[in-house]
Amino acid sequence: MERNRAISVNGISKRFGKVAAVDNVSFDVSEGEFFGFLGPNGAGKTTLIRMLTTLLRPSSGSAVVACCDVARDPAAVRREIGVVPQAMTSDLDLTGYENMDIYGRFYGLHSRERGERISHLLEMVGLTGRGHDLVATYSGGMRRRLEIARVLVHRPKILFLDEPTIGLDPQSRHVVWDFLGKLIGEDSMTIFLTTHYMEEAETLCSRVAIIDTGKIIALGSPDELKAGIPGNDIITLTVTEVTQAISGRLGELPFVHKMVIEETTLRAYVDYGARNLPALMDEVRHAGGTVLSATVHEQSLEDVFIHYTGKSIRDEEAKKVSFFIGAGIPQKLGR
Amino acid sequence: MVRLLAVIDRDLKKFRRNPVVLAMSVLMPIIYLVILGNSFQGKLTGLPVAVVNHDSGPQARRVIENLRAVAAGPETFSLSFMSDRKEAVQGVQGGRFKAALIIPPDYSRRATVGGRPELGLFLDNTDGISSENIRGLISAAVRAARNDYVPIRDPRDETTLRDIDLYPKVDYYQSLVPGVVIMAIFLGALTTGAFNLVMDRFLGIDESYLLTPLSKSHIVTGLIISGLMITTAISFFIFAVSMVITGIPLSRGVEKFIPLSIVIILTTLCLLSLMFVILGRIGHPRVVGILSGFLNVILFFPSGAVYPVASFPAWLRLFARINPEAYAVDALKSLLFKNAALVNVAGDIAFLFCFTAATLTIAILVFKRTL
Ligand SMILES: Nc1ncnc2c1ncn2[C@@H]1O[C@H](COP(=O)(O)OP(=O)(O)OP(=O)(O)O)[C@@H](O)[C@H]1O
Ligand SMILES: [Mg+2]
Repeated sequence: MERNRAISVNGISKRFGKVAAVDNVSFDVSEGEFFGFLGPNGAGKTTLIRMLTTLLRPSSGSAVVACCDVARDPAAVRREIGVVPQAMTSDLDLTGYENMDIYGRFYGLHSRERGERISHLLEMVGLTGRGHDLVATYSGGMRRRLEIARVLVHRPKILFLDEPTIGLDPQSRHVVWDFLGKLIGEDSMTIFLTTHYMEEAETLCSRVAIIDTGKIIALGSPDELKAGIPGNDIITLTVTEVTQAISGRLGELPFVHKMVIEETTLRAYVDYGARNLPALMDEVRHAGGTVLSATVHEQSLEDVFIHYTGKSIRDEEAKKVSFFIGAGIPQKLGR
Repeated sequence: MVRLLAVIDRDLKKFRRNPVVLAMSVLMPIIYLVILGNSFQGKLTGLPVAVVNHDSGPQARRVIENLRAVAAGPETFSLSFMSDRKEAVQGVQGGRFKAALIIPPDYSRRATVGGRPELGLFLDNTDGISSENIRGLISAAVRAARNDYVPIRDPRDETTLRDIDLYPKVDYYQSLVPGVVIMAIFLGALTTGAFNLVMDRFLGIDESYLLTPLSKSHIVTGLIISGLMITTAISFFIFAVSMVITGIPLSRGVEKFIPLSIVIILTTLCLLSLMFVILGRIGHPRVVGILSGFLNVILFFPSGAVYPVASFPAWLRLFARINPEAYAVDALKSLLFKNAALVNVAGDIAFLFCFTAATLTIAILVFKRTL
């Protein structure tokens, strides 16, 4: 199916002094696509969104959003898009309704149109009863839902969401996910979302770009990305101590494709995890180790991220991994 | 237009939700007027002066009569009569009196016989203004007493000065009113308009409207218009209240309502635009706090609101020539006290207009539409 391009990014970069927050990034998003940027804190997600939404001028490279180049015709781009920034931006001393109404007027909407649209959207995000309360009296989650409702008042063609579910409990998160899913389905909107929750990217996005330190390290549909890494399951073992003997023996097993070791945790990229777990545990015992716990799970985008960067995304500090075994990564212990 | 109105409406709504800000903006200038009007009045009153009279002669009596007249009339000082010279002098040293006048026993005799009559005046000269005043008034009282006594020798060639007031009498308290109105405008201009931008940046909510199709001029002029509405409303109210407090007939304000409004509105626009130039790129309210003290002093002090511009040193007079508050004060004073018409203050108005046009243009140019 040939669809028009909604976003087309060409070698875009942003430097803050010596830091390259976004480093020569290129990608395209088609109309009606739900596109995700997955990356840890400081990866450059917000900086990228700000460039695409005309708030920051790129240091180099270019991007066409909706109709126009973001640097050359920012005003035209702004008319076509809606943006939910990472930080909350509603006015605390206005009511939820007023926030949305003023916003609609910024886009030049007429009052009748605004009224209908706002009531509808407030209902969609479950704020109907609180619409006429000051935003200052809202909880964090309510405020976030208001932000999402507000940006839809003018029916943007492309919606940008910078970590939209941050700070929401699992229940509200699912409410937002359902809501976003509907927008794609019914209103054929294009959605560009950043997140550091793999589950979010995996559930919502038709394509995901994984970004780390300003660079795209992998891009594709969640299934494609997972297919790109060895094995199909992950076995995680916690042992008393990871010795050379243990890692050596495990690395020689035919069903182990790759191992990532963080302190006393061993992550093995394997085929048929459930069936092969007992054999793996036996090997550890034979090498003189003691297994404290073991889990098997299907590969997720998290594992894709670890595969490419050698660190886990959840880890805010990005602990360095001690050494690797397996394909594609510099080897210390061969198999 | 819809967009511009939305910017204005948002700002007015937010202002209405903060009644404390409104109350403060109204109260501060009025309190300022009351404090300034009652503490540094143009004329001094009630300075305590001790008098010790050791002379029972007619000359001494005349001097004391003249002093009593001052104490009863302009009330510059209040007299305490004492018999002990030492106690009186100690009273000055101890701060009970600002001065002690000692009339020696032979004063009247010396004055009549043509000897050299002498009075002792002990002054608390650490307080320059009051001691100068007392010295002047007492020597005048003494001279008057002697002249009365020897009228024949009144020198014919002495010039007498009859002062002619060009305008209806304006007392010190009333003369502060234009300054207070300017101060209200300054406070309003500082806390509305560009300040909203600073706060939005500080709270990070500027992103929400920078992302919309609002243009630079929508944002800048919108905030200036809402600031103008709030500030002029407050200023007119303060104007009326200070006229009532200081006893300027309200009718004078009504008579001159149109020219006064023009000056107030233009001054407000002028200061609002100036604030946009100064605060246009500031993102922290603390900077505004520091700047407000500074700006208030450099704009208000050399405006002629309290001290006459002519007495400034040359460089400060030069500054007053580009200080919009100086033009505003001049225009308000002329309209209010000198019965001037709009044409008489056309120069002031032209300056304020040009200043506004220039700063507004710069404000829109320097305003950053990106983060
Ligand atoms: N205004 C700025 N000045 C200097 N450095 C900046 C600025 N904004 C971002 N950076 C730097 O650019 C890099 C990317 O930041 P960015 O906010 O884009 O990350 P992010 O992926 O959105 O992270 P998070 O998940 O924490 O929101 C970081 O190293 C950050 O320190
Ligand atoms: Mg971010």
